[in-house]
Amino acid sequence: MGTTTNFTREELMAVAAAQEIQDDEVALIGTGLPMIAAYLAKYTHAPGVTLFFESGIIGSSPKELAIGVGDFRLVSGCVKAAGLYYALSLLQRGVVDLGFLGAAEIDRYGNINSTTIGDYEKPKVRLPGSGGANDIASLAKRVVIIVPHEKRKFPPRCSYVTTPGFLDGPGARERAGLRGAGPVRVITNLAVLGFDDASKQMCLESLHPGISLDEVRDNTGFDLIVPDSITETRTPTGEELRLLRDVIDTEGFYINKT
Amino acid sequence: MWNAVCTAAATQPFRELKQLGEFKSVTESPGDNNSVSSKLISMSDAVVQIEDGHNLTFSGFAHSLAPIALVHEIIRQGKKELELTSMGECWAADLLSGAGCLKRVRLSNYMFEGFGRCMNFSRAVQDGVVQAEDYSHFGITSRFMAGALGLSYLPTKVMAGTDILNRITFDHDKYKISECPFTGESYVLVRAVHPDIAFIHASRADEQGNVQLFGSSSIIDEQARSAKKVIVTVEEIVDSEEIARLPELTVIPGFLVHAVVEAPFGAHPAGMYRYYNYDHKHVQEYWEKSRDPATFQEYLQEFVFSSKDHWDYLKKIGLRRLMALRADPLLGY
Repeated sequence: MGTTTNFTREELMAVAAAQEIQDDEVALIGTGLPMIAAYLAKYTHAPGVTLFFESGIIGSSPKELAIGVGDFRLVSGCVKAAGLYYALSLLQRGVVDLGFLGAAEIDRYGNINSTTIGDYEKPKVRLPGSGGANDIASLAKRVVIIVPHEKRKFPPRCSYVTTPGFLDGPGARERAGLRGAGPVRVITNLAVLGFDDASKQMCLESLHPGISLDEVRDNTGFDLIVPDSITETRTPTGEELRLLRDVIDTEGFYINKT
Repeated sequence: MWNAVCTAAATQPFRELKQLGEFKSVTESPGDNNSVSSKLISMSDAVVQIEDGHNLTFSGFAHSLAPIALVHEIIRQGKKELELTSMGECWAADLLSGAGCLKRVRLSNYMFEGFGRCMNFSRAVQDGVVQAEDYSHFGITSRFMAGALGLSYLPTKVMAGTDILNRITFDHDKYKISECPFTGESYVLVRAVHPDIAFIHASRADEQGNVQLFGSSSIIDEQARSAKKVIVTVEEIVDSEEIARLPELTVIPGFLVHAVVEAPFGAHPAGMYRYYNYDHKHVQEYWEKSRDPATFQEYLQEFVFSSKDHWDYLKKIGLRRLMALRADPLLGY
């Protein structure tokens, strides 16, 4: 279980995301890195986690990596194959501890855009839309966002808010009637970020090995809150790397794409 | 008809295909039972019922449950100005966008999982050809559920505080904010929707339209119960005794169903749990061709317009390919 320097950024991100999952929690999982992270957590410190998908697939123990949340690989061997309304009404009931989200844009309050770039009615780029993301961010007890760290993806304010973070600051979620606590962590290829308790604005938590504070600032479109002492993101253990490479994503579908 | 498909590309014994069900010609008489009339109709007769401007909803979640054989027939018949009320039926939305059949859509998310955005749909919105009205998954599904429950609206706890509510394209009564009369808690109310026709692709049905499904069900139940008319395409037609043998699999009882169409591999290139996996190679080809309007028209020409019907399309895909996609009985995919 010794540490090694021989890992990729994606592997580091998957491990960081897996740390967010605690044993015996109900985790609502999306496509991509969150799926890898959830499998890793289940194989390591959180064997009792219930993998929960918006499509209505609950308690999956897939034998192969799935390409999406509607994938039959998740149905095979799950404990309940229901529908989307069933899954999301349980989310509204408050059973989901943790939800993972991606983002095309994320702003200083953790609001996410996944709908349009440019004018809404005649956009420059039409993106896929909310899906379950708005529902998850409105209702899950806590939310973790995984996003590539690029300036254009970190604007001061999203041009369209698809999914609520802290909206326009302290108290805004409560005023809107949202139930969940909102985003707790943003994991990027450069750093792990969180949210300042008082201002609800994004703050730096740890830098990935070899990444400078300037590099993070240069790739963020707003002023990040930076603590006095900055820690380094924990590196993957040999066992975590073995699981990621030899058990979970053996063909390099999500991480270490060839 | 199915025989013709098989013999044209026969590389494996017909008996293997028979495992998927007993394929009957739709031109056959409805059966020996004179007391109950058959709801079995042809694909073309199912699609004829769509009027230009109709508000439609289709089953489909990612690469499963998509009534693609039926959508191909809609494109062949040149339906226009259609309105879509949808959650995540990427296949119907993208094909109909690319073929110019759509006027406006309610959606929460269209995405080709594992591949990327729905390029035809995205382009149609970017070019101003199709109007989009955004919801979240739970938001739009609550509109179906309100319709299914026979209520005029439902309260929800989603979409509040975001641009999904702030930006309205054509649904001028998209939502209301209201307080619970008992607790004072704030709710987002959404209005019931009753699509003109729900088109559902499911596993199997009998001739009376009792529909059964294996696997995860997306929002089939809410769509079917809220729609004014339900038309179902299925992988196989089975005897009523087989339905009654496993009634817990029934997702839509026959009295709610207007008509049934037999369409084996009717979701191809998407998949059906316990029947066949999605066709990764074909989806890849579709997605690549959908990135450019000219190459997408070539795709439509090759697979839709030059196939006179679904059986002709299956012949084009080829029996060898279809057999390779069949589900492992233990895994279900």
